[in-house]
This record gives sequence, C-alpha cells and structure tokens, in this order.
Amino acid sequence: MNYQFNWSVLWSGQSGGWLLRGLGTTLALSGLAWLVAVALGIVSGAMRTVPWKPLRVVATFYVEFFRNVPLLVWMFFWYFGVPPLLPLAIREWLFDHGAEFWAGMFALGVYHGARMSEVIRSGIQSIPKTQFEAAVAIGLTTFQAYRLVIVPIALRLIVPPATSESLNLLKNSSVALTISVAELTFQTRQIETYTARAIEALTAGTVIYLGLCVGIATIMAHVERRFAIPGLIARGG
Amino acid sequence: MRRILAGLLTLGLPLSVVSPALAQQSTLEKIGQSGVLTIGTRTASPPFAFVNKQNEWVGFSIDLVEQGVKPAIERKLGKPIKLEKKESTPPTRIPLLSSNAVDLIAGTMTDTRTRRESVDFSLTFFVTGAQFLVKKGSPIKGIDSIAGKRVAAQQGSTNARVIRERVPTAKLQEFPDQPAAFQALVQGQVDAYTNDGIQLYGLKAKAPKPDDWVVVGDFFSYEPYGMAMRKNDSDFRHAVNVGLMELIESGKYFELYDKWFGPKSETPYPLTAENKRFLIMQVVPK
Repeated sequence: MNYQFNWSVLWSGQSGGWLLRGLGTTLALSGLAWLVAVALGIVSGAMRTVPWKPLRVVATFYVEFFRNVPLLVWMFFWYFGVPPLLPLAIREWLFDHGAEFWAGMFALGVYHGARMSEVIRSGIQSIPKTQFEAAVAIGLTTFQAYRLVIVPIALRLIVPPATSESLNLLKNSSVALTISVAELTFQTRQIETYTARAIEALTAGTVIYLGLCVGIATIMAHVERRFAIPGLIARGG
Repeated sequence: MRRILAGLLTLGLPLSVVSPALAQQSTLEKIGQSGVLTIGTRTASPPFAFVNKQNEWVGFSIDLVEQGVKPAIERKLGKPIKLEKKESTPPTRIPLLSSNAVDLIAGTMTDTRTRRESVDFSLTFFVTGAQFLVKKGSPIKGIDSIAGKRVAAQQGSTNARVIRERVPTAKLQEFPDQPAAFQALVQGQVDAYTNDGIQLYGLKAKAPKPDDWVVVGDFFSYEPYGMAMRKNDSDFRHAVNVGLMELIESGKYFELYDKWFGPKSETPYPLTAENKRFLIMQVVPK
C-alpha cells in the first residue's frame, strides 16, 4: 500500500509544457490584477483620508463591499453575473476571446484593490497630519498635496504589508480555476488527469508557487531597503 | 541559508513519519478497528450520487455500497459497521484514497488503464459513454460538429482528454464541477457541455426547464464505471467485488437499476441486453 513516487511524470509527455503554460497564465492574470489592485487601492485608500465626506463614503463603501464578500463569489459574479448585462455582440466577442480570463482578472483585481486600499490608508494615516498642513500652507491644492507629498511617502512606508498583500493576490489567482481559467493549479490537476499521479503534480505546483513567492519577497526586500526614508523608519538588522 | 534548510526539514519531517505508519494497516483492518467504512462520492452527479430535494445524500452508487458492499464487509469482519460519506471530485479522489481519508470511491469514476497504475478498481458496475448536452436547435450534433466551438467539460474527466486529442480545434473550457459547467452552458459562455451520457440525462432532468436541452451524438468514448480503492489490497477488493456480485446474482442490482434508471425514474436509461449480459458475466461462480 506504500505510495510509489514517480517524479518523471512531471517532465515526460506534455506535463512540462502544461506547467509552463499554467505558470504563464498565472503570471499574466496576477500581474494585470495587481496593476488594477494597486491603482484602485491608491485611489480609494487616499479617498478614505481626504477632508471631504462624500469621497470618504464612496471609498468606504467600495472597500467594505468588496473585501467582505468571498473571492469565489466575486469570480462567479464577474464570470456569470456581468456578461448578461452586456449587449449581445460584445458578449459573443468576449466569450470567443477568453471571457474567463478577464472575469478572473477583474475579480482578483477589484477584490485585492479593496484590501490594498486599507494597506495604503494605514500608510497615509501614519504620516503626521502636519505634513499635509505644510503642503497646503505652501500653496498646493489638496489633490496636489496627495499626489506630490502624501501618497509618495505612504507608498514608501507600506512596502512590507503591500508585499504580503501581493503574494496573497498571486496565490489567490488559483481560485480562477473555478471559472475554467487554465492557470497553474488547473494544470497540475490536468497532469493528475492524464497520469493519475496527484501527489507529484501537486508537489510541483507547490514548489512553483513557493519559488515565485520567495522570489517576489526577496525582490521586495531590496525595494524596501532602497526606498526606505532615512530617519523615518526604525530599522532592525 | 541554514535557517531556510532547517525550516524545510521541519516541514518534511511529519510527512516522512506519517507515510510508513499508514503503510502497515490493511483497509479491512482499518475498517474493523474504526467500525466505519468511509466512501468518497459526489454531491451533484444525479442519479449516481447527489443531494436530493429532501437534503438527503442518495444515489445509485450509494445504494450499491449500502446494500451490497457494506453487508459483504460486515460478514467478512463479523460485526456491523457504519457508512460515512465524504465529497470527492475527479481531481481529489485519488489523493483522498492515498491519504487514507476515504477507503472506497463510489461515484462516477471511469476505470482506465492509467488510473489502474495508481489505484485498484472493483468490477464494472455501470457502462456509459460521452455525449453532448446542447440547447434545443443547436447546430452541434456530435463530436464531428464541435470544431471551433466552445465546449465545456468537467476537469479531470476522461471526456476532456478525448476531445483534446480528437478535436484539438474545439475551444475546451474545463470546470471543476458540474453546476458551474452547466451554468456556463445556460448563459451561452459555451455552446455544448460534454460528459458521460447518463450524467447529461441526469443534469437535463434536474434543469429548471428540461425540454430546453437535448443530449446529442453517439458515444465518443467508452466509460466503464468502477469503484476505486487503494492499490495492492486484494482482501478488501475481493470483499467489495463479492458485494457487487451478490447484488447482480440476486437480482437486487436490477431492482436498484430500475429505481434510478427505470421508465418511471427521473432519468430513464434502459439497460441494453448487451450491458446486462456483460454485468452478469462478471459474476464468477461461488
């Protein structure tokens, strides 16, 4: 009854190609979703701190609505719920051009944008209020003060939590397989279908995710050191 | 670096300790000790295994286990056992077996040569083949008319594999479960959904408007269903097979078949004379 490992299934036949294609899809999906998440996060994170209530309300609504519903539900929402709202011609075109990929990308981006927003808001709120007042005092408008002073400083402060959030995004991209996006986890299951070697395939997937995440974390650690504001952050080691 | 290595070792340690421990006990010993037979089955594959409107987990495969396999194991062990059901899907069922989380897969698993390299199968308890479910009036008539079309399949199924090999131009979209694939068909994300014919009839019967859907095409694959178990455990496999043989021999199998697939059931699927003969011939003498 001992499980006989057979690692060669990972490179024999089409397995290697599938894993690479899955990796490509995972990276494209996560990369695009990350851009959406960061853009939405910066805008809504900043909006939640501005001294004008209607903007704060809109941003708060976005954050609480999107981060408090499970990602799986958002996947189904963007894939099954949104297309019927579109005109027939656009819908047909989308279905022929990877609708599942774009639905997955929006689900992931908008969901993580809401979570990223909180990271950025905490960065902004850790900046002394006097910074903003000084910026306004030298004649900048609120928008300019945010664009030129507050947001750039906040972004340099939040690298560690933003890294965590980005790694979560990368790993959460596997949920897209529920709407038939052929990403990395999907491909490991594919290998299982063809070879019936589930443990080997899952191990390969695990190692690839681990490698990706450790790689990103290492790069971000360099970014963190490079962009840390001297004197503003107490640093260890 | 040393710290990373130490971390990896700690991760690996439980795995290496656990696996030899699992290897020692046979499945019958395990069931004898715990008093429980755990099967991995489906929740949305009518009529084989599904949760019905009364919220009960029922189906043809589950009946076969309850009325055939379980009594045979009880006789072998000389004591009553309990039956426990767990959800298993095509991608999870073999790992669930290997990890001892379940003892037997009794759902809609096709017996294949590749799978036999990882698990053992009981005798065949049902025979079907892949077809397509389409909206009424669809131009798709079978595997010859799906080139360039968007086709949904269930991930980890044998049908997806056949399509990929035979019609590489079809745009295959694979979903982890049946409801999502059917929803994609309902909304037009895909033009057809392929699965084993009998499952498509089951799905059609459960649809809000069954008359809107048709099952089309000749069988483009051969799908003999078997119950899967851990490899190289012939005593357990024999007990399972004896249970199934007794069901067929006593005629109980055909009563159950009539209950789930007969003309009065929700998914009529007549048993052909050929298939009936095949089932009976699998029963070896006492």
